[in-house]
Amino acid sequence: MLRRRPGERFGPSRGPGKELRRRAKLPVWPRCRPRLLPAALLVPCLLATIGWSQTWRQANLGYRLQFPRDHASHPEYRIEWWYYTGNLADSSSRRFGFQLTFFRAGVRTRPENPSRWAVRDLFMAHLALSDLETGRFHFAERLNRAGPGWAGASTETYRVWNQSWEAGLDSDGRHRLRARDGDFGIDLVLEPGRQPLLHGRAGLSQKGSQEGNASHYYSLTRMPTRGSIRVDGREFEVAGSSWMDHEFGTSFLEQEQIGWDWFALQLDGGQDLMVFQLRRSDGRRDPNSSGTLLDASGKRQGLGRSDFSLEPVRTWRSPHSGARYPIQWRLSLPRRGLSLTVTAAQPDQELRTRWSTGVTYWEGAVVVTGTRGTDPVSGRGYLEMTGYAGQSMGDVFR
Amino acid sequence: MSPPPALRRSPQPKPLMFLFRTFILRRLREEKVRSLATVLGVALGIAVVLAVQMANQSSVRSFETALEMVAGKTSLEIVGAGPGLREERLLELDWLEQFGQISPIIEGEARAQFPSGDREWLRILGVDILRDESFRDYRLVRFAGQSQSPGPREFLQLLSDPNAILLTQKLARRHGLDPDSSLDLDVGDRRETLTVRGLLLDKGPARALNGTFALMDIAAAQWLLGRLGRIDRVDLRLNPEFSIDQAEAAIAARLPADLTVQRPSRRGRQVEKMLEAFHFNLTALSHIALLVGLFLIYNTVSLSVITRRREVGILRAVGGSRRQVAGLFLAEAGLLATLGCALGILLGGGLARGALSLTSSTLDRLYIRSAAEPVPVGVEHLVLAFAVGIPLALLAALVPALEASRVAPTEAVRGFDRLESRYRLSWRQRWLPPILAVLAVGFACLDSVEGIPLFGYAACLATVFAVAFLVPAVLHVSGRAGSRLTRRWTGVEALLANANLSGSISRISISVAALAVSLSMLTAIAVMIGSFRETVQYWVQQTLQADLYLAPATRSNIYSKSSVSPEVVRQVAANPGVAAVDSFTSFTVDYQGRQALLGSGDFAVQLDRAGLLFKAPRDGRSAVRAAIGQDAAVVSESFALRHRKTVGDAVVLNTPRGQRAFRVAAVYYDYSSDQGIVVLDRSTFRKYYGDQPPRSLAVYLKEGLDPERVRSGILAGLPPQSRVFVHTNASLKREVLRIFDNTFTITYALEIIAVAVAILGVAATLITLILDRKPELALLRWTGAEQRQIRKMVVIEAALLGAISQGLGVAAGILLSLILIFVINVQSFGWTIQYHLPAGFLLQSSLLILLATALSGIYPAYRAGRVPPSREA
Repeated sequence: MLRRRPGERFGPSRGPGKELRRRAKLPVWPRCRPRLLPAALLVPCLLATIGWSQTWRQANLGYRLQFPRDHASHPEYRIEWWYYTGNLADSSSRRFGFQLTFFRAGVRTRPENPSRWAVRDLFMAHLALSDLETGRFHFAERLNRAGPGWAGASTETYRVWNQSWEAGLDSDGRHRLRARDGDFGIDLVLEPGRQPLLHGRAGLSQKGSQEGNASHYYSLTRMPTRGSIRVDGREFEVAGSSWMDHEFGTSFLEQEQIGWDWFALQLDGGQDLMVFQLRRSDGRRDPNSSGTLLDASGKRQGLGRSDFSLEPVRTWRSPHSGARYPIQWRLSLPRRGLSLTVTAAQPDQELRTRWSTGVTYWEGAVVVTGTRGTDPVSGRGYLEMTGYAGQSMGDVFR
Repeated sequence: MSPPPALRRSPQPKPLMFLFRTFILRRLREEKVRSLATVLGVALGIAVVLAVQMANQSSVRSFETALEMVAGKTSLEIVGAGPGLREERLLELDWLEQFGQISPIIEGEARAQFPSGDREWLRILGVDILRDESFRDYRLVRFAGQSQSPGPREFLQLLSDPNAILLTQKLARRHGLDPDSSLDLDVGDRRETLTVRGLLLDKGPARALNGTFALMDIAAAQWLLGRLGRIDRVDLRLNPEFSIDQAEAAIAARLPADLTVQRPSRRGRQVEKMLEAFHFNLTALSHIALLVGLFLIYNTVSLSVITRRREVGILRAVGGSRRQVAGLFLAEAGLLATLGCALGILLGGGLARGALSLTSSTLDRLYIRSAAEPVPVGVEHLVLAFAVGIPLALLAALVPALEASRVAPTEAVRGFDRLESRYRLSWRQRWLPPILAVLAVGFACLDSVEGIPLFGYAACLATVFAVAFLVPAVLHVSGRAGSRLTRRWTGVEALLANANLSGSISRISISVAALAVSLSMLTAIAVMIGSFRETVQYWVQQTLQADLYLAPATRSNIYSKSSVSPEVVRQVAANPGVAAVDSFTSFTVDYQGRQALLGSGDFAVQLDRAGLLFKAPRDGRSAVRAAIGQDAAVVSESFALRHRKTVGDAVVLNTPRGQRAFRVAAVYYDYSSDQGIVVLDRSTFRKYYGDQPPRSLAVYLKEGLDPERVRSGILAGLPPQSRVFVHTNASLKREVLRIFDNTFTITYALEIIAVAVAILGVAATLITLILDRKPELALLRWTGAEQRQIRKMVVIEAALLGAISQGLGVAAGILLSLILIFVINVQSFGWTIQYHLPAGFLLQSSLLILLATALSGIYPAYRAGRVPPSREA
């Protein structure tokens, strides 16, 4: 359902000149959120194919995020995803990391073909499980159109699904995640935990130099989690803490960005931190690199490019793809007195997805150590790294 | 008795080879024409058998290979009770994920219209291209002949463009199409223009059907083929840990009642079953030519034996064993058969193409569209030819060879048996015909074996042999009658000709039998086809009562899925000249492992206006009227016979609402489908299967209107992209008969080949007779006969042989036609045929046979005329 609110316009606000620039640049998603790999791959192809003739809504100031309403889908925007990562352990302290992501990528706002199979949106999903005891990493993906109801994202209440994988709110307002592929899977209940953390300006995360190149973006940063994990045919009762991102918008990444490094960290003592940097083809850090810090008190602080520094410490070469990933980072926020070492909980957490041939990325559980002022601090979190598998993202997105 | 020294000293290692060379080969060389005729006869027989075999294989195999290629890695498929299943049902099938991946499929046909004016039928496969990748191997042609798997870009293009289609590279080359060119397709009852979005390399499903394969996204395919909301089936690719058997059982146990899990090959078997009777009958027909060819071998060896008794006697006198003698003649048969088979294989490859083109239009019209390519001659065909041809030839030669071995040395040397002063019937000739006739009647009363009229053909075979054994007696009687007639009414040539024939009954009886047998089959088939045609004509006259018939232009047979679109139905109904429209819808269902057609029409309109002919009950019309609104069905005669249903029985159909039993209210005559039709009244049909688009319309006009003018009016009112056929009553009747006649072309072709082989046999026999009678002819010449008279005499002999054969053939043919019509046809197709004797045809064919045999006497006559006068007898 398209919801229109007073004072808001549907469709991108743009003059003819702007449209031409956009076409010429073959802009690539997502400038704001580097995570959306498959969607990032598919959407520009679509643009090349069908042109910019659609009327998708742009993310603008003035939209007030409300919950739980805005957990649900926003089909008037081109791109949307729901992203869960978490660190869990069973009663004997056997540790696991998981990632479950649902993507929606708009193709045509109104397909002319009346068939239910006509594609308005493409739905993708990634499931990954890091078995930190054995060091094994499992991943799977789903790609579907809505069709007769194989995949979708409801607009009324929060529910998103792709075949049998699904995420949504139960009657108690808890998040239910269920996904299984062959002999591994998850079945988890996530308490909402802390208040939603709005990134950027009141949840509008400005990404590009141009107005309108932005997205609505919030996170649930510390969700108490319980449930079961299945791996190698065994069930484990687990508990831990998860992180959810939800973002929707209609803007795109630039060509010269070759990759990105994104961190979502939960520190002991109640600080939650999200930062990412975009790496440019000239080797420099993109000015749009940014982050948000949530204090134990619930105070939110935006982080600009100059507020943090990131430095790779140790790399690991993937035997599968040959890519070399920094699996240990030094992250410092000098003004907040934070000096952190972020280390992959296990080296191999690389996803190689069928649909992004050549686009292979690393997404995995990390362990944090370091200092806050003079006090030691530790924590856990998730790290995503792209653009290391030999290919510039810019080339891929062409 | 010890052999004389001379023979002992003959080339030691291979005395038999030596004998064979001198005794058989030399003789064969001397009688080139006869040897050639025999070889040619066997060759034609083998060639026809092979050709029909290959044509049959081509049509079944092309379907099965296509099925296999298109199925790809599909292990199982799920099909619905109606025409496909509603797409929402897929959600109920979520649990299938635990067995493997599933992919919904739409399959359809369209006729491509290329810029050059050529047309080709395309098989369109509509798949969810996001899912289907792991089922089938698609590769796209890139620039400069490089290939690649379709990437996201190509898939998205297909996804977002509702007119996108992928063709095979083979087809595109054939018609000079490039990527991004547009393509006109006739689909259902309209023309659509699509865009060729890419070319498929010759891999995976693109290899099927000689390139006439097209791939579309499921959304575009649904829209194009007019099947919004439905899919045809769900393909399932099992995870490797499952065995197909286990999974099939487990899935079947869990599926809702109206869905069925099956292997893709089941559709292939259904087609095979559907074509089984048609193919079997063609095969049987093709064997007539072979049978005649074998008669020819028998004839040749017998003549060889008869004309050379003296030599055989000498051979025996100088020490040749019985076994050697028999072996020599068998070797002769073996040699002729080997040559014949070899030549037959060469000929067969060529004839197969002809047979295929003759049968494929019939298949398209009556059964299923096939893009059959002739199968190449393979090892199996060589084996078939030699393994069937040579043993049968040896068997045929066994009787005369054994007879030769029984020649006593003394008898031959004395030269007794050169003259047949008085012919005496052997016990075989006396007793076999009645025994065989009884057998024939017995066989004719037996039931079919799994839908194949094996005993019917056994009855035919028994009849044929009875006729063959009856020949000497017939010749004997006709010789006597002839001598009386010729003495009084004709010239000396005819008198002599008749006398010659009655003087060599044992020599000629076999070739007469061969000719008579082939002519009897020709007659039988002509009577059967003639009767069938009369019946169909009557049926068409009675049943086709509507003034106009409208069907999609792409509807090529009654199993076609093409339907009439709602706009067209509205247009027709809105025409001021139209009084009533009856729409008929149908689709194929699996009824106990066999295809049947489930149809629906408006019983009330049918009863009011159409003239259905009911087989049962006696008052079919009121039975049908009473069936309206009930769970009752009217079934076609072929359905009733195939599945042994009579009025009052229940036909259990798998409906989307589960299994339902329908009472048979009436059985009606139908000649449009030999698979059987079950017809439900519109309301009943709708209750169980929902609304289905009509496949054809029967249009009744207001009183006194000219159908041609209303037809033009309807056509003019249709949208320009419409592609429909509107037949007037008269033109549809003509069309039905045209298709009918077309269907039987191959039957006649096969028969005529058999007759030609038989006539070759007659010519060969005559030549032998003449060689044998050289001294006689010389004496005749010496006593004053002119060359012209001799020649005339021989031609008359030939014509007499033809006349006797045809007389016998017609008589036997009428008997055989009874078996064909009342046993074989009923068992294989389930049709009632009213007996009708096509007198005109029989008369014409008799004259033609007389002429043809007389012509076949010309060369022997020329040879006979060249015998110089001489006194030495």
